[in-house]
Amino acid sequence: MRDDPTVIALVQRANDGDAAAWDELVERYAPLVWSICRRYRLDRPDADDVGQGVWLRLVEQLPLLRDPAALPGWLATTTARECLRVRRTGQRRQVHEKPLDETVASGQSPVLEQELLAAERDAALRTAFAALPEQCRRLLSLLIADPPVPYADISASLGMAVGSIGPSRARCLDALRRSPQLSALSDRGGVR
Amino acid sequence: MSDDDRLLADLGAAVRRAQEVPPEFLATARASYAWRTVDADLAALTYDSAAEPATTRAPAAGPRALTFASADLVVELEVGPDGCQGQLVPPGPGRIEVHTAGGEVSVVEVDDVGYFAIRPVPAGWFRLRCRPAGGGTEVVTSWVVG
Repeated sequence: MRDDPTVIALVQRANDGDAAAWDELVERYAPLVWSICRRYRLDRPDADDVGQGVWLRLVEQLPLLRDPAALPGWLATTTARECLRVRRTGQRRQVHEKPLDETVASGQSPVLEQELLAAERDAALRTAFAALPEQCRRLLSLLIADPPVPYADISASLGMAVGSIGPSRARCLDALRRSPQLSALSDRGGVR
Repeated sequence: MSDDDRLLADLGAAVRRAQEVPPEFLATARASYAWRTVDADLAALTYDSAAEPATTRAPAAGPRALTFASADLVVELEVGPDGCQGQLVPPGPGRIEVHTAGGEVSVVEVDDVGYFAIRPVPAGWFRLRCRPAGGGTEVVTSWVVG
């Protein structure tokens, strides 16, 4: 999604003072920042510290982002760098530490690249899902529930015959697959 | 596993990963937007001794040194255990507001040769807003953490 026009528009609107656009950027990419903090096994206070710094930096960098489409990569690299900083500070306090992946900070890490690709695919899936008709969203929400919801309960809660759940599922997933967000990804081999 | 099963599984994972983000983590991210600054020049962080790769850095040698630069002003800052010392270039008097991300503001004076001191080191993320005595454009530094 590095050339995602939605992201470019959101960055521009946020830079122009549109707080709703900022919130959307946060919704989209907070899971990426969070997952990288988890990769570094930061505890909650450290993860909060990193998160705060990343978003403060982004606010100040908004007018300077020459290539808004590169935002996800910028977020991933900045987060990884802050995670390294926090862990180094921690190392000075603690004797027992695991070795760090120093290559992450340079943006060369395959782990970071994986997180980035997964985050972009996740964001596309969630955006596409949010744009589906309400009936599809309700059905798919029940179908992805963990633990799984029995078809009889889905039928009761949606007022839908058990026999039509299968065909509706296929129809809704087809709509999801054909959404612009996912088509853009699958063109690049990102989604099946 | 059919394509539909896989897509559904991917969707479930995507939704769950968003739900794993703690609400306070999101709230902090949203609130950061309040720090958007349009009335001052940014002095971006151009050097941080603590960000140098560990292999090329002597372990814990002296205070951390930071440099921020805007088009018209350079702010040098040394962060020690008890406080920060700083120097404005070009040198000159003025005031500096220390803003923490927690919303606290304190003011320090810059002397005639551009020197200032902040004690103690601000807690958490902070930045400096520099107001030259003779007026002119104010400069804010990048956010840093002590």
